[in-house]
Amino acid sequence: MRRGILGSIIPILILCVWETLSRTGTLSFDAFSRPTDIASALLSSLMDGSLLVATWQTFESALLGLAIATVVGVLTGALLGLMPTAERITSPTIEALRPIPAVAFMPLSLMMFGFGVGMEASIVAYACVWPILIVTIGAVRAIERRLLEVAEALELSFPARLWKIILPAAFARINVGLRIAAAIAIVVAVTVEIVLNPRGLGYHLILAQQSLKVGLMYAQLFWLCVIGYLLNAALRNVGGRSTRMLGSV
Amino acid sequence: MRFVDPIKLAALAFAAAIILGWQVLADLRLISPIFFPSPARAIDVLISRMADGSIWVSLAATSARMAVGWMLAAVVGVIVGAAIGSSRLARDLLDPTLEFIRPLPASAVIPVAILFFGLTNTMSLTVIAFGAIWPVLLASVHGFSSVQLELQDVADVLGFSKREFLQKVAFPSALPDIMGGLRVSLAIALILTVVTEMQSSLPGLGWDIFYAQRSYRSADLYAGLILLGLLGFVANQLILLIERRTLRWRNLGT
Amino acid sequence: MGGASVQAFRGQANKMPPAATAARALSVRGLRVSFGAESSGGRTILDDVTFEVGDGAFLCVVGASGTGKTTLLRALAGLVRPSGGELLFDGQAIAGPSRDRAIIFQDYSKALLPWRTVRGNIALSLEARGVPAKDRDAIIDELVAKMGLVRARDQFPGQLSGGMQQRVQIARCLAQEPKILLMDEPFGALDAMTRQSLQDEILQLAEEKQMTVVFITHDLEEAIYLGDRVVVLGGSPATVIETIDVGLPRPRNQLTTREDARFLAYRHRLFDLLTHDQAGAAGLAARSPAREA
Repeated sequence: MRRGILGSIIPILILCVWETLSRTGTLSFDAFSRPTDIASALLSSLMDGSLLVATWQTFESALLGLAIATVVGVLTGALLGLMPTAERITSPTIEALRPIPAVAFMPLSLMMFGFGVGMEASIVAYACVWPILIVTIGAVRAIERRLLEVAEALELSFPARLWKIILPAAFARINVGLRIAAAIAIVVAVTVEIVLNPRGLGYHLILAQQSLKVGLMYAQLFWLCVIGYLLNAALRNVGGRSTRMLGSV
Repeated sequence: MRFVDPIKLAALAFAAAIILGWQVLADLRLISPIFFPSPARAIDVLISRMADGSIWVSLAATSARMAVGWMLAAVVGVIVGAAIGSSRLARDLLDPTLEFIRPLPASAVIPVAILFFGLTNTMSLTVIAFGAIWPVLLASVHGFSSVQLELQDVADVLGFSKREFLQKVAFPSALPDIMGGLRVSLAIALILTVVTEMQSSLPGLGWDIFYAQRSYRSADLYAGLILLGLLGFVANQLILLIERRTLRWRNLGT
Repeated sequence: MGGASVQAFRGQANKMPPAATAARALSVRGLRVSFGAESSGGRTILDDVTFEVGDGAFLCVVGASGTGKTTLLRALAGLVRPSGGELLFDGQAIAGPSRDRAIIFQDYSKALLPWRTVRGNIALSLEARGVPAKDRDAIIDELVAKMGLVRARDQFPGQLSGGMQQRVQIARCLAQEPKILLMDEPFGALDAMTRQSLQDEILQLAEEKQMTVVFITHDLEEAIYLGDRVVVLGGSPATVIETIDVGLPRPRNQLTTREDARFLAYRHRLFDLLTHDQAGAAGLAARSPAREA
């Protein structure tokens, strides 16, 4: 309760001061806008659906990229986690590729896929695969030896072993990596849209800035914060529930 | 005869195989060389750019931008983090606001920064600092707010002032957390440097890559990527080194 | 039955000797420490605790786990504000922590700065006292030698064993030049051999520096071995059940003192008091569950 009250002091204060200063003309610089204008821009873009469409576009690319990264990352990570020798052999190559920022591949991706979902999803995939890979390797390596021996004793095929024993056992930690990757996915998607790709929230942001619709721009920023916050909260909940379901091993 | 670690040899072989595979694929021209130049051509470009000096200009520009933005974020992040972390009231006042702003992609402030500063270095540095400050800030808050209670008691008994406490006890105690945050911040700083360079055609590696794509010079593009990878790798190693030296005391011990 | 006996024991503590106002003497009268508002479920940990510690005396405090011994020590250190009663040290009321009253914590690993070497940790006290940098080395070297830390001088706490870490903490406290040493079960986490050698070292130190010491322990034998007097804390809220004068000769010896008939008698007495107190507390709890004032 106390946190709620104290925590809202600063935002409310900022909003009031902002509104007052822009009305009295002190903050007349175009770049500032005012809270009331921002609120109305937010409302109208929500009601005419443009904000939601843009949100969906961003999510679409982010989800696709994340899905690709998850499949590639988890499978490769599981294999490397189970075979430490293989991991040590491939490690220098991985360490060499990892520092290259995913966004640097934007022009390359553009050349290969042209504008659209594919280009964006591929960048997201590249960015997300590394944390997922690393976390999965660590998670698989940390699996209790006994479990692996049980799998062998049961003479399960490799895919069965993977699906029934290895992945569930490593799930809790992989999940943490997935949450990190999910956050990265959204950030990367928006970034690609700001720089290059003409779709999604990032694109609308840059559009608003270029057409000097400052109120709309801030409204979209606010919306991004809300989306990010809700996403984080949702991910934390999902993580908690599924770990409980599978039991922590 | 010196015994060479077979694993390291195999790792080298693996990396070499990848590059070789790249070369072969490029030679086979399965994918148009416009997208897929051979490593040989990419290296060629690198060498010629090293000769005419243009590489150093780009490298210097990008490194400088990244370093300055990161250091700005580091200083502000630690100071603000210290202030917030050591005061319960500050934490209660600011935590909700920070939690709300934190998930915002740093690149989203690019349009705002452009409005205020245009397509300039200031814009770039502002965006870099804004994005890079979060890991350091949060790590700092965490570090300063979790000083061992016994150490606080010791400081009280010894009669340290608040400033002495922060300097002699809280800051060194928070340093492991802060260093971790600084490492992540550096990675973010690099990313945002590249993004802002691409966005605003400021001279640097990001811009080189962007421009190479525009003029369909794929070898230049790949050369730029390789350079970026090197820069990222070196930067990371540097900060790991600093971390190891500063936190020497952690690695010792039974 | 339990209730009546506890009352009888309490009566003895009410015989108050004249207040000790000599330098470095501690006077505790009717000390009460509570946390939280009484109305909203606050707890009173200590109530009506009274005892005196003379200048240069070695007082041990024993009691069952959770009785509030640590709270008492923290109150003496000035880290906890008393809710009632009187606390005097060196003739002045204890209003807060002070370098004069050094406290040695049970969990030594958390009380040392892990990023400083042994010398650095000891230097912390010297920095606090404002000793000029050029003079520090001499003092540190002396303390290092006295506490047997010469080989570990430039090592970090993380590299040292428990016994060595505790020695570093003691050295750091000595560097404060305190007037009284407050020790909270300092040897509890150490193995028997280390414990015994540290016991003798502490006795030697106290003797040499004529130090006043308040030593908390749950080990009855340790209390008798070390102390001039033993205060028994018990009940809930805790109060002084009894004070025992240990009439054993000094210097103490790990073998002969512990075999002395009087030693065994004291031990018997303390054991009785504590088991009685526990039975009494259980009995009281059974009769009136909501006992907290």
